[in-house]
Amino acid sequence: MSTARWAKVAALAAGIGGVVAAPYVLPSYVVSLLTLVFISALLAGSVNLLAGLAGLVSIGHAGIAAAAAYGVAWAAVHDLGLAAELGVAAAITFAVSVVYALTTMRTAGIVFLMITLALGITVFGLALKLSSITGGQNGLTGIRRPEVVSEWWKFYFFTAATYGLCLLGLAVVSRSPFGLMLRGIRESQTRMTSLGYSVTAVKFAAVVVSGAFAGCAGVLLAWNSEFMSPSAASFSRSALAVVMVIVGGTGTLLGPLVGAGIVVAAEYWLSSYVERWQTVLGVVLILVVLFAPRGIVGGLEGLARQFSHRP
Amino acid sequence: MIPRRGRGRQRAARVLLVALVLVFAASACAPDEETTGGGTEGTVKLGFISPVTGFVAALGTDMRRGWEMYWQQNGGKAGDVTVQTVFEDDTGDPEVALTKARRLVEQEQVQLVAGPILANTAYAVAGYVAGKGLPTVQMTGADDLTQRKFDPLVLRVGYTSSQSNFPAGQWAYEQGHRSAVTICPDYAFGWESCGGFVSAFVDAGGKIEKQVWHPLGTQDFSTYVAQARQANPDVVFIGSAGGPDAILFYKAWTGFGLKDKIPLVGNCCFADQVFLREVGDEALDLQSFTYWSEGRDSAVVQNFVKAYEQQHKEIPSLYAAGAYMMAQVVAEALKKTGGKIEGADFINAARQVSLSDSLYGALTFDDTNNVVGPVYLTRVERRDDGTLWSVVEKTFPQVSQFWTKGKDAFLKHPVFSREYTGQ
Repeated sequence: MSTARWAKVAALAAGIGGVVAAPYVLPSYVVSLLTLVFISALLAGSVNLLAGLAGLVSIGHAGIAAAAAYGVAWAAVHDLGLAAELGVAAAITFAVSVVYALTTMRTAGIVFLMITLALGITVFGLALKLSSITGGQNGLTGIRRPEVVSEWWKFYFFTAATYGLCLLGLAVVSRSPFGLMLRGIRESQTRMTSLGYSVTAVKFAAVVVSGAFAGCAGVLLAWNSEFMSPSAASFSRSALAVVMVIVGGTGTLLGPLVGAGIVVAAEYWLSSYVERWQTVLGVVLILVVLFAPRGIVGGLEGLARQFSHRP
Repeated sequence: MIPRRGRGRQRAARVLLVALVLVFAASACAPDEETTGGGTEGTVKLGFISPVTGFVAALGTDMRRGWEMYWQQNGGKAGDVTVQTVFEDDTGDPEVALTKARRLVEQEQVQLVAGPILANTAYAVAGYVAGKGLPTVQMTGADDLTQRKFDPLVLRVGYTSSQSNFPAGQWAYEQGHRSAVTICPDYAFGWESCGGFVSAFVDAGGKIEKQVWHPLGTQDFSTYVAQARQANPDVVFIGSAGGPDAILFYKAWTGFGLKDKIPLVGNCCFADQVFLREVGDEALDLQSFTYWSEGRDSAVVQNFVKAYEQQHKEIPSLYAAGAYMMAQVVAEALKKTGGKIEGADFINAARQVSLSDSLYGALTFDDTNNVVGPVYLTRVERRDDGTLWSVVEKTFPQVSQFWTKGKDAFLKHPVFSREYTGQ
């Protein structure tokens, strides 16, 4: 193996070691923030799948995650058991993703953006209005995590492991022929059409696959807070997921994780000390866009490549 | 995610898989548990959550001021116990509120959490904090917090959203009004506010011509006001959450020339100070049913208003008064328990607190941890210095969250919603 590969394996081992060690060395509150980072990163990862590969930026993905979370919450409130919680969540995620996919599969660019925005707001509105199912503005209480992961540190490991598996899944999708098709669509739709691909069908599938990851994030979200209310589907949640992708690096595998780390740190840690944490986050976003247009991870990868190519 | 040759990737994937197995293996052993609820001898540490940024920042800021003012006036002490507060901002988002509550409980080791204000944030925080076995004090209106979702660790120092509007319904009927139109925002607070008015008005014998629901954050109220005018009722009840909605509604109302044509009755939060500052003289003589009247003829209220005005250059809002009340009840309870905060015992002590006069008036608690206290019919008047404020016209003493129905009969009904307003 080359030194570069050794360095990669070492970094991976160090990363995983850090993740495993965290609950033993850090206070439980910090661990709960890390849990939140993984959940946010998973949602951002699903946005990144579309944005990075196919160039389709969605600002309504929190809607899919919230729909899945409501599925869990609804089943939990009605005491239907774990299997039903996951089943309902999967069914709702699939249904909502199909609606997202059907309405956006013929669009690209700004139109795609606007339709996902509208869909996200629709989910938010439904969550608010269907109060007999969703509890309306008051939300749903009485959700409990599955027994085996009920404690904070177990749930942390569970979330980390789920994120790890989803990350593998995202990497596989990205490297598959399907991923290549999406890249092709990003580069030139007309060329893909003339090569005999159905751009519409590929986009449909891409949104549904991305929705599945968002749904996973939603399930974790409901279990993490053990509470569900419409604000999980709000525009700001969707927008923050996009911010995570941009700050971390669009199209990079670990970008969403880094972005989620920064956003969560600003939202939950910085805000305890600085009232204008949103301003700080805004400045960070501007700086990243100006000086590292490919995001933090993208920028670092570029630097690493430059150094390794130096004679 | 640029594709590269497969070999090393496969190996990396294998490493990752092994690592995941290790993660599961590691999760078999638990880290050391942290204790919760610290605090040293003679000192208690309290957490206070309110939204000081975001779309309800104005309410959260007022709350913080009210809470601070109580401890400032009392030297930061409750009896011999020194009280220390850690403040947090929830931005009006339940996910943030919950995480901030975690920080307060797990990191700051607070012994009690007070706030936040919005119903969804309050439910999220109360659920978590009570789950940790710690008491929480709330001022949000959400009916079910002390009704169908009652928790012995949660005390509401405040009124349910419907509570102060029951007297409004009965009073309207007694005034000779037989038909009414209600206008409320289309979410839980609005349903509960209108539910209070509608159920009492109908019980008394009145008839609801129409219930108008408008989305929160409506810009143009003319269609809603037109609907109310068309029904031509004897009285219109508006249950507003305050803010721009209240002001824009009233502009449409006066614009349609209805000010002197159809009597209008507001709820707690309609003609508040923000509203009065913006609307000005057009608001004179507006009648509301509320539990906070800044112009009430009571030394307790006037001293508070004076001190608050000196410090912040404005008349205190409902939210400042509400947070002050939370602090006062916590302090009284601390005096009873000798500075100990032990779960439900503390809330039980707090529930025994009875105040002969307070910012809200003569106050006790019922056995599901909610205030039993007066509701005031107020009228907007001009103070000597020209400022507008609300003075008490009539007092309805000892109003319960269950109105006159009694707890069991009341709780047989579902919570008020768009579908069920007690008709």
